[in-house]
Amino acid sequence: MSMRELVTGGAACAVPGSSSSSSNPLGALANALIGSSSKTQGVLKEIPNATAASPHPQFYSHAADPVAALPGSELDRPFLQSNAQGSDFIRGFRAADANGFADAWEEIQRQPPFDPLAAPAPPIQPTLDGPPQRVLSSFLHSFVDSSRSGVPLHPTPLPLLGLSQGDKQCIRDRSSIMARHIFADRSEEFINAQVNALLSSLEIENDIHARGPMPGRFRELEDYWNESQGVMKPGAHAADGWVTEFSQNRIHHGDPDTWAHSFEQQHGAGGWASEFEQEQAQLTSVDQMRGGNMQSLAAIQQTRMLAHTLSQNGDPKFQNSKFLQFVSKMSRGELIIDDNQVKPASENWATEYQQQYNRGASWADEFAQNEVFRGPDQWANEFGAERLQQESVDDQWVNEFSKLHVDDWAEEFGRQVGEGTLGDGSSDWANSYDEFLNEQIAAKQRSDASRGVYVFSDMNPYVGHPNPLKEGQELFRKGLLSEAVLALEAEVMKNPENAEGWRLLGITHAENDDDQQAIAAMMRAQEADPTNLEVLLALGVSHTNELEQSAALKYLYGWLRHHPKYGTLAPPELADSLYYADVARLFNEAAQMSPEDADVHIVLGVLYNLSREYDKAIASFQTALKLKPNDYSLWNKLGATQANSVQSADAILAYQQALDLKPNYVRAWANMGISYANQGMYEESIRYYVRALAMNPKADNAWQYLRISLSCVSRNDMVEACDSRNLEVLQKEFPL
Amino acid sequence: MMPVFKTPFNGYSVRFSPFYESRLAVATAQNFGILGNGRVHVIDLAPTGPVINELVAFDTADGVYDVAWSESHDSVLVAAIADGSIKVYDTALPPQSNPVRSLKEHAREVHGLDYNPTRRDSFLSASWDDSIKLWTLDRPASLRTFREHAYCVYSVAWNPKHADVFASASGDCTVRIWDVREPGSTMIIPGHEHEILSCDWNKYDECLIATASVDKSIKIWDVRNYRVPVSVLNGHGYAVRKIKFSPHRRNLLVSCSYDMTVCLWDFMVEDALVGRYDHHTEFAVGVDLSVLVDGLMASTGWDELVYVWQQGMDPRAS
Repeated sequence: MSMRELVTGGAACAVPGSSSSSSNPLGALANALIGSSSKTQGVLKEIPNATAASPHPQFYSHAADPVAALPGSELDRPFLQSNAQGSDFIRGFRAADANGFADAWEEIQRQPPFDPLAAPAPPIQPTLDGPPQRVLSSFLHSFVDSSRSGVPLHPTPLPLLGLSQGDKQCIRDRSSIMARHIFADRSEEFINAQVNALLSSLEIENDIHARGPMPGRFRELEDYWNESQGVMKPGAHAADGWVTEFSQNRIHHGDPDTWAHSFEQQHGAGGWASEFEQEQAQLTSVDQMRGGNMQSLAAIQQTRMLAHTLSQNGDPKFQNSKFLQFVSKMSRGELIIDDNQVKPASENWATEYQQQYNRGASWADEFAQNEVFRGPDQWANEFGAERLQQESVDDQWVNEFSKLHVDDWAEEFGRQVGEGTLGDGSSDWANSYDEFLNEQIAAKQRSDASRGVYVFSDMNPYVGHPNPLKEGQELFRKGLLSEAVLALEAEVMKNPENAEGWRLLGITHAENDDDQQAIAAMMRAQEADPTNLEVLLALGVSHTNELEQSAALKYLYGWLRHHPKYGTLAPPELADSLYYADVARLFNEAAQMSPEDADVHIVLGVLYNLSREYDKAIASFQTALKLKPNDYSLWNKLGATQANSVQSADAILAYQQALDLKPNYVRAWANMGISYANQGMYEESIRYYVRALAMNPKADNAWQYLRISLSCVSRNDMVEACDSRNLEVLQKEFPL
Repeated sequence: MMPVFKTPFNGYSVRFSPFYESRLAVATAQNFGILGNGRVHVIDLAPTGPVINELVAFDTADGVYDVAWSESHDSVLVAAIADGSIKVYDTALPPQSNPVRSLKEHAREVHGLDYNPTRRDSFLSASWDDSIKLWTLDRPASLRTFREHAYCVYSVAWNPKHADVFASASGDCTVRIWDVREPGSTMIIPGHEHEILSCDWNKYDECLIATASVDKSIKIWDVRNYRVPVSVLNGHGYAVRKIKFSPHRRNLLVSCSYDMTVCLWDFMVEDALVGRYDHHTEFAVGVDLSVLVDGLMASTGWDELVYVWQQGMDPRAS
């Protein structure tokens, strides 16, 4: 990723859906434990013999007293009171049930025998009143009908939720566990993302975050620890047994690390220790996601992802599955829980949306400027929150130390610290480095999940526009990138096979510094038109940015093969085993063939980045720029290459050229910041990052760079503003 | 001939009574078990005609994930509740006297129950709190807790011959074999690369155990030599949710899956898939075979329907 700034096509481009097989540390223990069946008697209570099977058993004859004392027995009343946790939602459900639900039930009973083969009932108009059960059911039906007829369902702003803490925890835990069964074909990362999409829409994460880390995994280790220590559990009868145990153990052992350590000693570092690390990583990731300060409105944006998954399964049975639709609808805010009733969200979303956000000025301007409303693509930012951690630190360091491989960091870092080359800022760097280490595993786990799948914005005013492509092109030309994205999304929703729509969408995302969406769009473009030269080039560049050489070569070679002029240069048999040298040679031949073709020089420049021959890459881009002096993305490429080649001062000049040509080029603004940061000019870099973010608050990478620069100049006061994404404060503090 | 019963909530589990050939218990949960109430139905097949009558229903505060009939008392059944409790119901008592017991020890959802068919005095519960508990109805607290699994335990099954031996299937990708006389598990079978959702013992060979996994496969294991499965049954398109060996035929077992089908297998022949039933329109999550009537099957799913049919017939034929 050292060449991330090179991008015009985005960074992340891995094969999506790579399945992750569960690690199985228990398997390792199996051999050790098997066969150890010495018949120890009397350790445990014998089960009392069965009482005689009299027709009317005696066992509950004394039920009244001891049972009443049992925890949970207070729940055992017909149409039960709410449980101790205070579940408003459930209570509401029940209150409604008390009258309405019985009716619904009778209705079902009144029509025996039930005939499952009967034709489906005609579309039911959603009922807005009545018991929640009936409302819910009728909306599921209407949803089915709408999905069959292809009528798009209008998403709505996130509704008010009446979920109690206990309800939220239920939804969170249960949907997490169930999702692992239902989305079995998908990777763990993907499943996490799906669940996260559902939960964040229901505003579940932020609240529960306050309660600290998810207890599940820790408790488990706690149990193992207890057992390994031979501690007999005190009955564990209390309803909140483990909670108590957990806190006791905490007090007892003080630092959780202590017991983890002892545990490791006892069982060997290999198996459980690694499990522990995994769990830690998971916790970190969960925290990170929760800490992502996800805004409720933005959260709905994630949910297209779910819909997309559903649509991936060709089986009509699945597409009609009410459960999957239910989950999808909940997560999109189309089913709301309001006043303790499940209701459809209101349909006049567009109006509300306008009222809320359209204040006189043009919608687009408002959209671009308003830092409170963070826009439809927020999902991508949040979603990629883990990635940016990794990437940004990565990039920063890689740039700083020029071309270091990530794995060499620790060593290099130590060396530099030893030499004192880091100066006063070193403590901040060390902190960043620590953070990086903590988060890298988690980031790695989930980074794949968000790749490759294009996620649409929900509230899209361009849906239904007569010619969204034209509109999108126009907006793109004007530099209203976020707005252009919406128009182009409307286009590809209308015409999913329109390669040009997808391509321009990808370009727009790339220029708007949203790499994941860019890649996803480009891949769709390539599906629609496998020989499109611009698309192939963009994908080649993206993979180069990711240092995925073989993939990059594949696309760049594809570009050559499908080029009308150079196709003959590329022998088809070469495609099976592509080597860098061969591809570079072919492009050099192409360049000799037509030295006036800027595109060939651009590809050469990309290729030389791949081999890290930056001088040659710079020369190639400069040649191309003589032929195409007004190509702002080319200036950006030149700047990025110069930055990689530790010529940050030159890079800034190149970026300036790009910005002169295209003032709204968010990526170039951010890249400027990087170059200043690389020269140690953190104060300047901050101004550029803030500028980039003012234009696109969703540029997550830039937020991350900004954070690093802020800590480098010890502006901890502003780090807070950065974390809360308070642009107003930052802009006031760091005007450009 | 083939009756159908509609439940108001999403079906989670169905079990034939070991005492009455026409009686079944059904566990259901609102909102797919994610949030809301639950209900246990006790239903009877009418002696004439394809009709199912409801004998009684019990409402619960949270979803019901599983039910198990008592092996000693014909009117008693236990229900696994998502709130972590186990409720004991007696259909011979009026509704207001029910449940006769509420056993609340599990910290998380109770997902599976199995009544000991040989000793008949005790039952096991499997919970998402990663533990298994052993209960008798004459005690207000559990006799034992088995904690070794590292993730949710989805199902437990007593060995049909050895009254103290049982197996548990867990999301930690293992099946564990336990003897209640032992302090810990006696065997760990790392059976699948993915979560294991269900397990059951062969009723004729007490050394054979079947496991069903999120990896879509069913594996048959011989506990005397568990390094390689005796058989691997592929054919489900999604996670296999539940499996049950036939009480009447040694080599026959039935499974249901998130692919919405119920499948019948003969694990000893090459083309193991004997039958596939496509009647559910949502995830098929509950399936059972009658001990009393050879070939009588029942299934339930999130389509809120309970089907009872004779093997070889179309469950939907009415």
